[in-house]
Amino acid sequence: MEIFSNLALGFGVALSPFNLMMCLVGVILGTLIGVLPGVGPVATIAMLLPITFNLDPIGALIMLAGIYYGAQYGGSTTAILVNLPGESSSVVTCLEGYQMARRGRAGPALATAAIGSFFAGCVSTLVVALFAPPLAEVALKFGPSEYFSLMVLGLVAATVLAHGSLIKAIAMVLLGLLLGLVGTDVNSGVLRFAFGVSELADGIGFVVVAMGMFGLAEIIVNLEQTDKREVFTSKVGSLMPSREDFKRMTPSILRGTVIGSALGILPGGGALLASFAAYTVEKKVSKYAHEFGKGAIEGVAGPESANNAGAQTSFIPLLTLGIPGNAVMALMIGAMMIQGIAPGPQVMTERPQLFWGMIASMWVGNLMLVILNLPMIGLWIKLLTVPYRILYPAILVFMCIGVFSLSNNPFDVLIMAFFGVLGYICAKLACEPAPMILGFILGPLMEENLRRAMLLSRGDPLVFFQKPISATFLIISILLLVVISLPALRSKREEAFAGDEQK
Amino acid sequence: MKRFALFLALALATSLAAAQAWPSRPVRIVAPYAAGGPIDISARLVAAKLQESLGQPVVVENRPGAGGNLGVDYVAKSAPDGHTVVVGAIATHAINPTLMGSVPYDPIKDFRHVTLMVQVPNILIVNLELPAKSVGELVALAKSRPGRLDFASGSTGSTGHLAGELFKGMTGTFMVHIPYKGAAPAVLDLMAGRVHLMFDNLASALANVRSGKVRALAVTTKARSGFLPDLPTLDESGLKGFDMTTWWGIMAPGKTPQPVVERLNAEVLKAMAAPDVRERLRAMGSEQPAIRTPEQFTAFVAAEQKTYAELVKRSGAKPD
Repeated sequence: MEIFSNLALGFGVALSPFNLMMCLVGVILGTLIGVLPGVGPVATIAMLLPITFNLDPIGALIMLAGIYYGAQYGGSTTAILVNLPGESSSVVTCLEGYQMARRGRAGPALATAAIGSFFAGCVSTLVVALFAPPLAEVALKFGPSEYFSLMVLGLVAATVLAHGSLIKAIAMVLLGLLLGLVGTDVNSGVLRFAFGVSELADGIGFVVVAMGMFGLAEIIVNLEQTDKREVFTSKVGSLMPSREDFKRMTPSILRGTVIGSALGILPGGGALLASFAAYTVEKKVSKYAHEFGKGAIEGVAGPESANNAGAQTSFIPLLTLGIPGNAVMALMIGAMMIQGIAPGPQVMTERPQLFWGMIASMWVGNLMLVILNLPMIGLWIKLLTVPYRILYPAILVFMCIGVFSLSNNPFDVLIMAFFGVLGYICAKLACEPAPMILGFILGPLMEENLRRAMLLSRGDPLVFFQKPISATFLIISILLLVVISLPALRSKREEAFAGDEQK
Repeated sequence: MKRFALFLALALATSLAAAQAWPSRPVRIVAPYAAGGPIDISARLVAAKLQESLGQPVVVENRPGAGGNLGVDYVAKSAPDGHTVVVGAIATHAINPTLMGSVPYDPIKDFRHVTLMVQVPNILIVNLELPAKSVGELVALAKSRPGRLDFASGSTGSTGHLAGELFKGMTGTFMVHIPYKGAAPAVLDLMAGRVHLMFDNLASALANVRSGKVRALAVTTKARSGFLPDLPTLDESGLKGFDMTTWWGIMAPGKTPQPVVERLNAEVLKAMAAPDVRERLRAMGSEQPAIRTPEQFTAFVAAEQKTYAELVKRSGAKPD
């Protein structure tokens, strides 16, 4: 069994005192920046790059990887406690996690996120170790038409994200799509909807929109209620999940892990979709579907497992093809090149210590994170006892610093403020921000791949149905649309009949 | 009049003093692109060395946006005292002014071009299953199937795109340009055979060429590259005069005093010559550029601007 000797080699490397320390430094840093709203792993890794120049390459990469998945852990903490998604993957955690916190179940929500992430991390590390080379072939099979159809499926599923009206959900998805169009057109280079503002030339940043729509809007809504402002602290229950909670979260964690591991392999936004997809599945499959929107533990367990699994398997295209799946992976390539390592398939054969050491360290890092984070839950909950007059200004300051640090430009802070107001208006109109965020993320990807596919097919739209993977996604989307619209049709008809009887 | 002269003398004296005292404060190097890219990394490499030799903190600040124009424009309008400089690149100083119609700065007059840091060739790579084994065969193939071959690039108006357009123009072939958001997804589609060829940055293409995932046909510089000495140039493959590199270097605001520019030039060159920095710049595909002095650099930028203005116009990449 070659795999065992490989893993043994990997753990030999990962468990050396120096590498253990680098891993610990990485995950602690990652957790910290994940908790601070707006300060993301991209900026942190970039700032740390020069320090890694003089380190041993394995230790350096282990630390950088630790920051990446540490940030995933930390990001869910603020999402759950104060409704602030620092990462695209934690947007979904806000939906149920924050509701759980409002009901005094912040402890179990945080614990679920940690346990789910750990389990998913273990499984997906194994997936990377066992199947990295064959899975890389899957990534190669995904071309523009496959991505486009996958995005269509994602958007159709997005309407399931909403708790209230279907029409409002669709309207919000469309708003998100429109906002995603702002910036330079990939094909022609023409500026769209930039109104001569050069800061808009690269589009609106995701973090800026998410922080405004969720965090800022939430603060405004809360401040408005002078008499019955929410106090979480009086109802903080047990810190750990109950036996019932464990029973409910287990299948969700399993499903989330599978979804995340599968989608994480795709470099073009696959990992982004993972947590959204897991949430959609949980909502459709769960026996407790009626609890969604009010703090269902499945809605935390599934997406949290999915995003961590996706984070892990997104190393597959990086390590085997040298193709970065997201901005953080692109930085890892930069870090490897600085060390004189050309990322790609030859890394595995030429530098097995590095390859397997990194994989083993992923597991070690996940273990460290769960050990670090479970006892910290009590501490995080204490954060909620801070009075609002101190907590809110503090959050606001951190948000502004975080957003400013994205590109050292005050313009981003203004944009965040704009989306804060928009988020408040949407809250008043009972329009959910989550479908909008998904539209905002997927819209540009979808357009880009649609146009590229059409260019490659010289304008023949049938290409989407001629490729088997693409056709499958489209057929599932159509089926899903039918399923979603059926109950709506039925209730409409029932309303109509009820109206008839009254006459 | 006397007062004015006094004022002038005073101003002159203080500016001279400023030059002598430079750097009196921390120096900022603005990288007009996202952190972690090659431009950012090379700036950070040099900054670490400058910090030792200048005795002042040297900080790299990322100000991405608008294809690099935001950061460049910010420095063009900063105080010309040598404490704020920028990494200007082929995009911001040669391509964007024509590609975008107008930019809020003058790439020549608003800058002192201090030191050219990096020059990286592009190489022409093709999918393994494409029957063409040389540039000549590729041209023949493209001519036998007009409009059927696709060439990918990292974005519209990138050096990869413009190299492709120049190739088309010089060989009289017609191929379809498929723009991507960054070179990485383009390379993935090239490996999978969805697009046929692309002009990719040498540093990123090298690993794929060596591992046999793609086939290299030629390098875009006039001289062969030390990294792939067996790879012919386009110039020797029948495209006479084909010479393109991606480059970037340190630039200061236009009115920065000469002594400061000279000192900075010397210090950056010294930093680049340090063995560890040199080795890492090499890992990015860059050999030490032949252009050393600010005057040579300015002349080079002016020439590049002229070349690309013509090329962008000819390629039709300019948005209307």
